[in-house]
Amino acid sequence: MKNQWIHYFSGTVTVTATGQGLERLLNTLVRNQISVWNVKWRGPNELIFCVSLADAKKLRPFVRKHKCKILFAKRTGFPFFAKKMLRNSGFLAGALIFMIVIFLLSNMIWKIEIEGAEPATEYKIEKALKEMGVTRGKLQFLTETPESIQHQLTSKIDEITWVGVKLSGTTYHLRVVEKSEPKKKENPGPQNLVAKKKAVIVDMFVEEGEPRVEIHDLVKPGQILVSGEIGKEGETKLVPAKGEIYGEIWYRSDVVLPLESRFQVFSGKEARSRFLQLGKISIPLWSAEKSGFKNFETETSTREFRFLNRRLPFAYVTEIHRESEIITRKYSDQDALKVAREMARRDLQNKLPEDAVIKDEKILHHSNRNGKVYLKILFHVYENIAKEQPIIQGESE
Amino acid sequence: MAKAWGKQIRNWLAKHLELPPDVMMDLPRITMIGQIHIYIENHKGLLAFSDKELRLLLTQGQLLIKGKSFVIKTILPEEILLEGEINQVVFIRE
Repeated sequence: MKNQWIHYFSGTVTVTATGQGLERLLNTLVRNQISVWNVKWRGPNELIFCVSLADAKKLRPFVRKHKCKILFAKRTGFPFFAKKMLRNSGFLAGALIFMIVIFLLSNMIWKIEIEGAEPATEYKIEKALKEMGVTRGKLQFLTETPESIQHQLTSKIDEITWVGVKLSGTTYHLRVVEKSEPKKKENPGPQNLVAKKKAVIVDMFVEEGEPRVEIHDLVKPGQILVSGEIGKEGETKLVPAKGEIYGEIWYRSDVVLPLESRFQVFSGKEARSRFLQLGKISIPLWSAEKSGFKNFETETSTREFRFLNRRLPFAYVTEIHRESEIITRKYSDQDALKVAREMARRDLQNKLPEDAVIKDEKILHHSNRNGKVYLKILFHVYENIAKEQPIIQGESE
Repeated sequence: MAKAWGKQIRNWLAKHLELPPDVMMDLPRITMIGQIHIYIENHKGLLAFSDKELRLLLTQGQLLIKGKSFVIKTILPEEILLEGEINQVVFIRE
């Protein structure tokens, strides 16, 4: 006995038979291997029944022997459906193309809005975006993620401190925060130069004002170095004092460096797999060769598909496995000392203003305990210690 | 006389060798599921069919099924599956 599914695929014809002795017709059909099902009585001398499409063609010769007539009433099943679809294939293709076009248009970049940047910076950003392939008309899931764009822009363009990249719909919103360097006052009011730090003066260049200290003087923070009050007693004049006063300052720094340290580094090998994610199920499109990395880190980026405003429940997922290795670094005592000194120097340089110069360094203490190098270093630095302090009128000494 | 003899031998065999009687004696095997289905194997052809009645030819005599809203779900040379509301199943001796 065939089941309903097979009937669906082979196609079913519903036959209406009228005439005398329909039972005998049924017997004849059945005995000639024509399968008949769903026989219903429609009144005296009328029956309807179903036969498969293939059998329907064989029906005629048997019917002719009996005194009855048959009529093919209804055709159902896949072959008829397919024929109908073929006839309407233009519509189907049109609908499909329409959906594809809408889908592609929904996933394109239509607009890039840059906010908060000056025209010159904006132009630079646009150029950088173009290099990355983020332009109007590109497909979103083929370009980089907003996070990656943000990262690249921040590192590529020096003029910006931060850029926020947000993708909303088909528009990229870039919010830029530019580095704004404080403008130097062109014409400062009357001012003194005072000491920033405790130091011994080693060098002085006074452009304007009256120096109050001399080389080799020890100054305290806040002490006036160059006065803005010039002229003889009684005929004083207030001017903005200008100049550079270099002081000698000692900085002490402590460094601890382990002789042996373990690092995790990437070996450079990576394996990519791509998935199509449908809800919670991931269908691998391009599965990575079984990477077999012992240690690895996984980086996943998910690109969602969109249809008009809606997010579709599927996404394009790229998974990158990067092989990582653990490396043990070991210093000899001499190397450790060198590295520690270098570290201390770099550390200090980061803290110092740009015009400061490290003149000399002295190791005060050096010990080797518990597999670590302890180092105390004294740095000898020449640094501009002058700081402007405005003179408030009417408050002179 | 010879026919009656043959029948007696078959009857005896069915009884004593525990062979199914429908095979040995060419009888219909009728399976009913409540009132709604009736499945008849080993019939010899359709005699009459309407929505209230089905008459089948058997090797000996006829089988008459009465009820309501009958539909023949499947019909094969020796099998038939009838659906509907079955009220009576009657054997008619010729």
